[in-house]
Amino acid sequence: MRPTPGPQAAATACENRLVPAIETERLTKFYGSHRGVEEITIAVERGEVFGFLGPNGAGKTTTIRTLLDLLHPTRGSARVFGLDSRRDSVAIRARLGNLPGDFGYGKLATGREAISLLARLRGVAGLGGAAALAERFRADLERPMGQLSRGNRQKIGLILALFHRPDLLVLDEPTSGLDPLMQEEFLALVREERERGCAVFLSSHELDEVERVCDRVGIIREGRVVAVERVSDLLDKTPRRVSVEFAEPVDLAGLRELPGVSDLEAGDGRVSFKVAGNIDPVLKAIARHTVLDLEFARPTLEEVFLTYYEGETG
Amino acid sequence: MTALIAAQLRERRRSLLSWGLPLGLWSAFIVAIFPSIEAALAKAVRNYPAALKEAFGVGELSTVEQYLHAEMLSLIVPLAVGYLAVRSVASGLSGAAESGRLDVLLSAPVSRRRLVTAGFCATAIELAAVLAIALALTSIGSLLSGAGLSFSSALAGFANVWPLALLFGSLGIVVTGFSLRTSIVTGSVAGALVGMYVVDLAGRLDPSLDAIRYVSVFRYYGKAIEDGIDPLSFLGVTVAAVALAALGATLFERRDLFT
Repeated sequence: MRPTPGPQAAATACENRLVPAIETERLTKFYGSHRGVEEITIAVERGEVFGFLGPNGAGKTTTIRTLLDLLHPTRGSARVFGLDSRRDSVAIRARLGNLPGDFGYGKLATGREAISLLARLRGVAGLGGAAALAERFRADLERPMGQLSRGNRQKIGLILALFHRPDLLVLDEPTSGLDPLMQEEFLALVREERERGCAVFLSSHELDEVERVCDRVGIIREGRVVAVERVSDLLDKTPRRVSVEFAEPVDLAGLRELPGVSDLEAGDGRVSFKVAGNIDPVLKAIARHTVLDLEFARPTLEEVFLTYYEGETG
Repeated sequence: MTALIAAQLRERRRSLLSWGLPLGLWSAFIVAIFPSIEAALAKAVRNYPAALKEAFGVGELSTVEQYLHAEMLSLIVPLAVGYLAVRSVASGLSGAAESGRLDVLLSAPVSRRRLVTAGFCATAIELAAVLAIALALTSIGSLLSGAGLSFSSALAGFANVWPLALLFGSLGIVVTGFSLRTSIVTGSVAGALVGMYVVDLAGRLDPSLDAIRYVSVFRYYGKAIEDGIDPLSFLGVTVAAVALAALGATLFERRDLFT
């Protein structure tokens, strides 16, 4: 018979079900006078895939390394499953799997040796789920990692992050170096992990894969989070591009004055413009004319992302 | 902890041979040629300048133990094994940080202190193994040549290198508390190793500088192959090495990890 949990254990279990997988409160990290990240406040729920987006140097890796206690915050706090990232870092790491950006493990050790060591450190019997993952990713566990290509090394890194079935996955540029087939396999795996209830914190440049797999995204710019949204909401909020070919000339001023319409251009009988918000007035205005062709392009996450960085690259 | 130590030793298994074999074969050669040069050597040494004899720890060279000390154990073995110690510590910490392995290991539920302790223990075992290989080959050289090297004296001589070398490994751990660049860790501690030898040498050559020898661990090294191990010095240097490693672990625990 299993022992009945006491009230304190039950309360802790209840609390544990409620606390987010990751919660940062005004997390700030400076390297001397140089800014790492500032005032990062985000929460990642259990069973959620959270994409963390930003260009190089925006602070994605700094945030991850602070969560893992590899860096110590200058101000603010980070909690993982309700545990303090500094004080309880060992207990936190028992529950997470991490793929560092630019994964490396030295040249001499084989994948099997690395997994075997990590399995012993984690108290996992044998190699855990590593064999199945190796088969799925077609990873070579027997060759020294110095002899593997970048993509094949990355597969070992993914196996090291996943083999013990963690409650939280922290993945920094996980598909870097993987071929398209393996990228698909990885995305399928992330979906399976979410089904299992695992939270995934995914930092990536690959906006297409983020769009396909993430529930929410956070966008970081110059060390600060500038947006946290559901992917679908983010896409809905962003102007869609409309391109219409009319049978006869139309009154462009009438279209331009419609609410939400911008960037209107005309030429060769075709009119294109962006429309934000309610699309209904635009459709009604178009319907007053004979329409030969209509294209309606939903923005990609990449386009959305770039709107947050407009003016920065010039 | 044992998993971490075993993994580090597995990675360093090549260094056991690449350091133990040359040191052992060289020492074996020194011992093996002693019977044939013994008489000429004693005559030559009598004509050496006193300062030169002091500088290289050359006293009377009438026994094979004295000769082995002068040729190997006074300078070459301590410097080589001391350098190996800092190199090993650096590969386990700063080298691991540079290769990315440290990030992977610290993704597991392992405290930094445990990681440093494992590295220190692995280095201590590695040094002992290298010295044991060197001792074994030297003894075989003596047996084959009939040089008559006393095993217990040779054991004392080689064993006495262990705490001294370990101390430089610990200094390496302290330096990783400030820098995770392998070149800085090995360079600075190798500099300290040579510097301490020179300070001790200066103190021995000039009695007015004797006081400065106390800042050098070589002050406590002596000639164990001739005089036996001084338990107080052996224990004192070992305790100092452990204390420095503990200090290094604390510094390592407090620092940000990036290269």
